[in-house]
Amino acid sequence: MSDQKIKITTFLCNWCSYGAADLAGVSRFQYPPNFRVIRVPCSGRVSPKFILAAFRHGSDGVWVSG
Amino acid sequence: MNINLLTCSEIEKVEGSKGDFQVTLNKTPRYIDASRCTGCGDCAEVCPVVLPNEYDQGLSNRKAAYKKYAQAIPGAFAIQKADKAPCRMACPAGLNVQGYVQMVGQGKYKEALSIIMKDLPLPGVLGRICPHECENVCRRAEVDAPIAIRNLKRLAADKIDPRDIGITCDPARDEKVAIIGSGPAGLSAAYHLARKGVLSTIFEALPEPGGMLRVGIPDHRLPREILQREIEVITNLGVELKTSSPLGPEMNIDSLLNGGYKAVYLAIGAHKGIELGIPGENTEGVRQGGDFLREVNLAGKAPVGKKIAIIGGGNVAIDVARSAVRLGAEEVNILYRRTRAEMPAWEEEIQAAEEEGAKITYLAAPEEVLVKDNKVAGLKLIRMELGEPDSSGRRRPVPIPGSEYDIEVDQIIPAIGLRPDISSLKGVEGLNFTRRDTIECDPVTCATNRKGVFAGGDAQSGPGIAISAIAAGREAAESIVRYLDGRDMAEGREKVIKERPDYRPIPKNQVEEARLSMPELPLKDREGNFKEVELGYEEEMGRKEANRCLNCGYCCECFQCVSACGADAVTLVTHAQKPETVEIEAGSIVMAPGFQPFDPSRFDTYNYTNFPNVLTAMEFERILSASGPTQGHLVRPSDKKEPKKIAWIQCVGSRDLNRCDHGYCSSVCCMYALKEAVIAKEHGGSDLDCSIFFMDMRTHGKDFERFYNDAKEKHGVRCIRSRIHSIEPIPNSDDLLIPYVGEDGRMVHETFDMVVLSVGLEISPEVMELAKKLDLNMTKGGFCETESFHPVSSSKDGIYVCGAFQGPKDIPQSVIEASSAAAEAGADLSEARNTLTKEKIVPEERNIVGERPRIGVFVCHCGINISGVVDVPAVRDYAASLPYVEYAADNLYTCSQDTQEAMARVIKEKKLNRMVVAACTPKTHEPLFQETLISAGLNKYLFEMTNIRNQDSWVHKDNPEMATVKAKDLVRMAVTKVALMEPLEEAELDVDQEALVLGGGISGMVSAKSLSNQGYKVSLVERTGVLGGQGLKLFKTWKGEDVHLKISELVKSVEEDENIELYLNTEMIKVDGFVGNFKTTLSSNGKETEHEHGITVIATGGYEYQPEEYLYKKDPRVLTHQDLDKRFIENDPGLKDFKSAVFIQCVGSREPERPYCSRVCCTHSIESALHLKELNPDMQVFILYRDIRTYGEREYLYKEAREKGVIFIRYSVDKKPQVKAMEDGLEIEVVDPILRQPVLINADILTLASAIVPYKDEKLANFFKIPMNEDGFFVEAHAKLGPSEFATDGVFLCGMAHYPKPIDESVAQALAASSRAVTLLAKQKVHVSGTIANINPLYCSGCGVCVSICPYSAPAFIEKGPFTGRVEINPILCKGCGLCVASCRSGAINLKGFGEDQIMAMINEM
Repeated sequence: MSDQKIKITTFLCNWCSYGAADLAGVSRFQYPPNFRVIRVPCSGRVSPKFILAAFRHGSDGVWVSG
Repeated sequence: MNINLLTCSEIEKVEGSKGDFQVTLNKTPRYIDASRCTGCGDCAEVCPVVLPNEYDQGLSNRKAAYKKYAQAIPGAFAIQKADKAPCRMACPAGLNVQGYVQMVGQGKYKEALSIIMKDLPLPGVLGRICPHECENVCRRAEVDAPIAIRNLKRLAADKIDPRDIGITCDPARDEKVAIIGSGPAGLSAAYHLARKGVLSTIFEALPEPGGMLRVGIPDHRLPREILQREIEVITNLGVELKTSSPLGPEMNIDSLLNGGYKAVYLAIGAHKGIELGIPGENTEGVRQGGDFLREVNLAGKAPVGKKIAIIGGGNVAIDVARSAVRLGAEEVNILYRRTRAEMPAWEEEIQAAEEEGAKITYLAAPEEVLVKDNKVAGLKLIRMELGEPDSSGRRRPVPIPGSEYDIEVDQIIPAIGLRPDISSLKGVEGLNFTRRDTIECDPVTCATNRKGVFAGGDAQSGPGIAISAIAAGREAAESIVRYLDGRDMAEGREKVIKERPDYRPIPKNQVEEARLSMPELPLKDREGNFKEVELGYEEEMGRKEANRCLNCGYCCECFQCVSACGADAVTLVTHAQKPETVEIEAGSIVMAPGFQPFDPSRFDTYNYTNFPNVLTAMEFERILSASGPTQGHLVRPSDKKEPKKIAWIQCVGSRDLNRCDHGYCSSVCCMYALKEAVIAKEHGGSDLDCSIFFMDMRTHGKDFERFYNDAKEKHGVRCIRSRIHSIEPIPNSDDLLIPYVGEDGRMVHETFDMVVLSVGLEISPEVMELAKKLDLNMTKGGFCETESFHPVSSSKDGIYVCGAFQGPKDIPQSVIEASSAAAEAGADLSEARNTLTKEKIVPEERNIVGERPRIGVFVCHCGINISGVVDVPAVRDYAASLPYVEYAADNLYTCSQDTQEAMARVIKEKKLNRMVVAACTPKTHEPLFQETLISAGLNKYLFEMTNIRNQDSWVHKDNPEMATVKAKDLVRMAVTKVALMEPLEEAELDVDQEALVLGGGISGMVSAKSLSNQGYKVSLVERTGVLGGQGLKLFKTWKGEDVHLKISELVKSVEEDENIELYLNTEMIKVDGFVGNFKTTLSSNGKETEHEHGITVIATGGYEYQPEEYLYKKDPRVLTHQDLDKRFIENDPGLKDFKSAVFIQCVGSREPERPYCSRVCCTHSIESALHLKELNPDMQVFILYRDIRTYGEREYLYKEAREKGVIFIRYSVDKKPQVKAMEDGLEIEVVDPILRQPVLINADILTLASAIVPYKDEKLANFFKIPMNEDGFFVEAHAKLGPSEFATDGVFLCGMAHYPKPIDESVAQALAASSRAVTLLAKQKVHVSGTIANINPLYCSGCGVCVSICPYSAPAFIEKGPFTGRVEINPILCKGCGLCVASCRSGAINLKGFGEDQIMAMINEM
């Protein structure tokens, strides 16, 4: 699989990790473009169902951060 | 909306008094319009001025256009500017030297030239021959040598043909102006006139233009092509140039003025040589230097003799000499009557002349030309000596009588000075001349007495430098245009010179760098030709030289940011902003000016300035930070090596009167060092060795002792009790050596890769000054003085203080005090509450129920921030193709006012019912777009924002293709989500305006009193029959105030307060309801009453541990603190008869069953010890301790106790003191750690510093669903940011129920709790968010998982009705985190706005 096709579903807590991802942008840190972010009100909102669904829809990885 | 943020502002003065202050602020400009700035940073990107980044403690760089740190509020950039740099001020023509030097440093030669040519049309000429007064004032000379400014100017002109610089001119006018003379003054006047739309004709007497530049300076210094090229810059603008057109009978001032020229500028220069005035001067073979050079420069050669004498010491003499050498003269001798030190010629020119073969004879003056056959045969000279200084400041040459001598020469060239040749101007009406033949005119306007006739350059000033003539020409142009317009020629043209300009300080430790000299033509290649000698800088050299500039003015005004800013936030207008004075009316003032970290440079034995791997803790914090200079990668500065061993040295700038006059403890350093050590181990791996060298480990905060134990036991941080004297270098290594005495008394030499200095907190001189201005009393340590029972009130009524300004402290205590200060300030203003607050006006909402989704998508370019990477039009087109999307557009700035108006219009026109914005980030901009939806009549939740800047274009710069794919994916996900969005309701609920405070101790009383002062009714509930709590058992505060006296005042004021209803001997037996609507049942002597209240304050306190150790209760001579205080209060006469008293610390604290520090006991023991010493100075007093924790200014008490002879003996926890009861006293045995021997003390009295323990009130915890930690103290909402409230809304916390604390801190927290409560009460309504969870009771199985996990106690079992036993969620308490939703095994719970269907749909679309 080429790097470009890898897809990682990301659940970021609005209050910490989502802000940190913004900060990474402000600091112009460069990282691979394979992440797709879903903003959640708290990482506690992430149900196991979401993780399974993400894999079912072809995600190569799921990252929950909060 | 109700906070007006004034940045860049300082208090000038405060007048008036409490309730009616007039505050005058000095507001320095930001130079960027914050309301337009999008925070994209394009200005910083192009800004050439590199400065140390203060936020990163100088470990990284920032630009002069900057934002202090990424999350700064406001998020707009600012520009740092000081006064105009000295080089700019020194340049006669006022060139923006710093600006073009910076541009050259960036290799932006075109931009450099554009800056130069704003003032100077001849950059290549002046880049060669300017005597650079700018370099004489360059502050870089204070470090090493001035910047080679002239050479950099030349480099710009070497790299870019000045003719290619677009010069903008005003539209051409009809009036014509005549300029006499094409030297620098004439050319400059023509240039500046042309730029103002006035075209001129230049009349030049000589056959070629350029004046002295052409005929006075030989080609080896200024090649004629360069001059010619730059004259074309001017003629290209439409200026007419007529050579060989001298003034004379046919063409004179009258004929010009009568012949259609509206004005005449006389710039004829000074070309006439001054004669020597000695016999024989008119002989053949004697020739004026000026005439000689003119011929050389026009014809390329001139007759030279074999032996030449040149008389004079100026640049003309040198030019003549160097020309004569080139023309084949065999002996060239320059005769000068003073010494080399007085020579007006430039040193580099003199050196070049000597190198080329010219000789210089000093202190010799000509007496007579010796003539033979009517030709020069020789010269009689006389020797001179230097006498007194003359009017020029140089020492006057005096002939030595009888020292005459002759030399043999065949050509004599006098070059002793020039003056204007005014023969053609004599007799012109209105023109006057000075004694030196210069033209008289107004010094500011250059106007002569003849109307329309102006003069300047050498013709007006006498021989001067070219750049002055350029300046004169520009000034004349200004006057002439004003004259043509009929305006006042002088108005506003006075030069303002600031006496003490404000410049960037020269950085300490600025590394020296040699000034780069110019490459030159080798000597052998100069013979017989006039090839240019100076060859110009190579590009690399130029950049290096330019980068030596110190940027004295910070911003260099190159205005690159103006071109770069797409949002018009920084413009020439904003760059010209001026400081302003702002007047504010205020009823109360809160001061929170903070501290500065101690600068350890002055401790020479720590070598902070010499060794790069010795850092301050603040620097180390930045190295650990993910947004810091190394992005959180732990490396040491000198070689970027990952350290294997790091040492921390505590108390640097604290607890040290000898070296820094800071006798206090900074309170925070022990804890931050432990934190840094633990994080360093997380970053650097567990094999990283972290050692902390300390005197007393002061972890007295809540949960800090646990952290200390974990750091040692779990993380392996070594804590070594030793005061470090010095940090030493290790030769040929960047490692550092620390010699120290270990706890076993042995000397150890240990090597570390890095050493961190745990620097203390101090008040900056600026804040000291401010405090003085406001007339605030300060403490010994330099902090703002307050009283224990009024811990945030300064000595000036109405001015409140908080944070480290009040005393060194950590974040939780600072946040507590911030709320306390707000409570006090609010109490003063309570009558005026809500009279100045603003409220939003909301238009009626459109009902969209039943409508099919009609989605609008706005894709933002953010200038070039997004569209520079992401293909924005492609994303827009893609969005338009998605289901339900009715409208898609792209905008330069979606956040701009006009786009917001367009969005509102489109929503109405296209009947859109949902919106998506793809732009920066919802964290900053979602509220703005939601406002627009509201104004367009849409529910604000019908909106989704997706992040294609911060999380896309900015982080995938090198992959535009994938960034565009990502942007499309994100837009598709957002569209899918918003299509499923429904309008959400934000309900409101009234807040009961009464408060209930639980606990009648100091905290409870202060809290009740504060709530009452702010205008609310309070029920104060106390379980005992008296008010006062533990305070009643205390003698004095650490500041020496009488606790009893203060408490009785407080009790009286509570009892007399009409707003406070007192419930003594009362317990709480039931609580119903929630924030805003509590229903509490109280029971007093079996009588139950019900109370309704909006908020609750928990102030239930703690009590003194009753020890089981050290014979307490078994021997009457063993007491606790409160026992001893009781005797103090009762003034027990027996106390003073004691010969020996002992205190044992940490009794019941810092033990496995109570692993916390009780915070107050060290100070309490020392206070009591001091009191005993006061009662009987001969009494022997011992304090047996583990660590003395007299934090903050309590440290002064510790010092006083030692000075008064109190003996402190440390014991270790595994070798506790042993107490035996003897008849004649207590025998206490303790192992002295220094002597390492047991010590026996006979004591008459033993006081145990016993712990403070909480009540562990489980019932209360259940009533309000508030958590308790394992020690039994209540757990606040957030240790740092919410220390006085609970996660459960409407319930607040203060005093010892939170953690052991002294009276001042209890009072502060009591005020804070009431302050936090008032934020709820004052709103009168609680607003329920739209994004909250709700339960479908049909699906609920009543398992209770949601009830147990919700941190906010929002879910509860239904007690009545058909769904009894199932759960419902109180919308008021729900914070919308979604924890319950994810935990619900029945799928009964939904989170509005983040619904299962919505998130699943987004996953599907990925």
